[in-house]
Amino acid sequence: MKAALLALALTVAGVPLLAAQEMRDYAVSRQRHGEGRVAAHLAFAAGTISVSAGSPDVLYAMQLRYDPERFTPVSRFDAGDGSLALGIENTGKSGLRVASRTQLTQTATVLLNPAVLVSLAANLGAANARLELGGLRLSDFRLESGATRATVSFSQPNRIRCSTMTIEAGAAELTLDRLGNSRCAAVSISGGMGQTTLDLRGIWGQPSTVSVRMTVGTLLLRIPRSLGVRVRSERFLSSFPSEGWTRNGDILLSPGYASARRHVDLNLETALGGVRVEWVR
Amino acid sequence: MRALEAVPGALLLLFLPALSLHAESRPESVGSVASDIWSFLQQIRGVAQDDSIPARRQVEHPIAIPAAGANGPAIDLSDLSRPLDLERELGRLSTLADTAVRVTIPGGTARLGSYSVGSEQSLAGHLLVLRGDADIYGRLDGNLVTYDGDVVLHPGAIVAGDVLAVHGRVQNSGGEIQGESRMLAAAPVTAQTAAAPRSALSLTFSRLVGVIGVFLALACLGWALSVFAQQHLQIVSDTTSHNFGRAFITGLIGQILLLPTFGMLVVGLVLSVAGILLLPFAVIVYALLVIVGVVGGFLAMAHAMGETWTRRRQAAGVMLGSPGSARFVMMGLAVTAALWLAWALVGWVPVAGSVVRGAAVLLTWLLATTGLGAAMLSRAGVRENFAGRIIPPEALTDEYLWATPRFGVPAARRPGTPAPPRQR
Repeated sequence: MKAALLALALTVAGVPLLAAQEMRDYAVSRQRHGEGRVAAHLAFAAGTISVSAGSPDVLYAMQLRYDPERFTPVSRFDAGDGSLALGIENTGKSGLRVASRTQLTQTATVLLNPAVLVSLAANLGAANARLELGGLRLSDFRLESGATRATVSFSQPNRIRCSTMTIEAGAAELTLDRLGNSRCAAVSISGGMGQTTLDLRGIWGQPSTVSVRMTVGTLLLRIPRSLGVRVRSERFLSSFPSEGWTRNGDILLSPGYASARRHVDLNLETALGGVRVEWVR
Repeated sequence: MRALEAVPGALLLLFLPALSLHAESRPESVGSVASDIWSFLQQIRGVAQDDSIPARRQVEHPIAIPAAGANGPAIDLSDLSRPLDLERELGRLSTLADTAVRVTIPGGTARLGSYSVGSEQSLAGHLLVLRGDADIYGRLDGNLVTYDGDVVLHPGAIVAGDVLAVHGRVQNSGGEIQGESRMLAAAPVTAQTAAAPRSALSLTFSRLVGVIGVFLALACLGWALSVFAQQHLQIVSDTTSHNFGRAFITGLIGQILLLPTFGMLVVGLVLSVAGILLLPFAVIVYALLVIVGVVGGFLAMAHAMGETWTRRRQAAGVMLGSPGSARFVMMGLAVTAALWLAWALVGWVPVAGSVVRGAAVLLTWLLATTGLGAAMLSRAGVRENFAGRIIPPEALTDEYLWATPRFGVPAARRPGTPAPPRQR
């Protein structure tokens, strides 16, 4: 009897059962061989992603930590037209994954060449994104995001004039830091729900128009006192703190608009929520 | 009976501090701090190494891998954009004995063990290096792949194609890679540990602990309900007893309508504009109502099961002490827990485990659905219509009505009393 019990216990103890896997590390890079232009498309469904300028010798580089059960890394470059696809794409195994918090943390670090012309489009899902685009030669930029906390900053001026910047965010917390350094002629931001912070500091190399359309949420404008801002506002159940501004019909002019060296047109369409203005140096 | 009712409360009081202490000490404090201190000490001792990288199998005598026959394995290195697929194929090769490895590389060659391309050398075609480093001093006109080895490019080296190091690194000390450079790290040892086979004994133990924990929590909730909301619990319980079928159907419909109702609630609040402010509260309240309905209904169902069993035993002449709501709930929960405990014990058995788990899930769902339906029918124990406590009108006979005058029949006037004056 004892032997049988022992045998049963050993059998039970020896039965192998499988458990879950974890994250994988993947890195990809390409040296620059005279390329002058890159049309980069970043796709990142979930996790934390950071994008910034890298070394002039490297055309692009990506360091990735991803969940191999649900995603597969993507790196495609066509030397003919300069198109580049980086990021992760879904393997089709959707659904919730119940695991520890650290196990779920996918991270990506993308470096782009500061010497080549970059046309950048990013498609982010439920991501925490930090895009430091200062110092690049950014010709245009497009960001589409779902439930994302994103910070797009230009700590250094864009090396060239940028034509358009388009941001479409769902339920997001979006921060645009030193937007003037982007040197974009037209900036368009449309958000569903959430909070948007627009820092209008920077060099503003050309007359620019910033259009903001928000459905539900708060818009915080950080405006340097030296910048002349002309606001055209369409609001529904939302407010704009117009104290100190000069009203000219439907248009509001910031204090010192006439004497300002740089001017920006700001078109606001806000539905539910409020607009706050913070004056900065 | 009082002692029985006091047991879950005492258990709760005993376990709560222990659970809270456990929760405080477990997650990332003690474990991670100890791990950090250990790795720090290792660094101080100078023996630190990346434990997360699995050890590589060394090849004593590097050789060229012969081409496989027509039906042998062939690995195409012309497209390196799917490193995971390559890792799978190369992993199979890597498990073979050194002398048994055979592979065909279309348009290229394969090596087992470390290999170098000399500075005066120019190699045409793709190159695969299995379980060794690839040192490139010269030129390679093709793609380069290493498995369990590094790619090292020395000054002046040129690789005309792409480079992929599977379970290795690409170290460029001044060479040129004209294509893309990729590194796929090995799955970390921690991951392998996590994926390592778990013994059925440890699995059984963890499942047992889980089941006991869940039912202990339910027992505490049931005890609290039987003490603080006994009337409501009994009405929902009676509703399940007297209208089982109706309660089940109602619960089923309720489950189906949960999401549409939630959607309508959200849309309605959003459309009403002002209601948007109430949206977060409405979502929370709705979720709480669903949880209370399901859990409370389940406990009421356990109460009904326990009560039925107790009554039957008493009718058979068995003395069971003083029956009460808490006792009923505990007995009903014990029945459900028995099935889950059976699953915890035999869950590791390939077929039987699945069958027992299916039965436990089915029974739990059945009880929860019926309980939810009963909670809905009885408005969480407020309405007694379905609980068998109100006698339906058709069950009433004339003997209940003898003292009640019929509607429309005026009461007879006592003899000798004057007629009431007519009102004009």
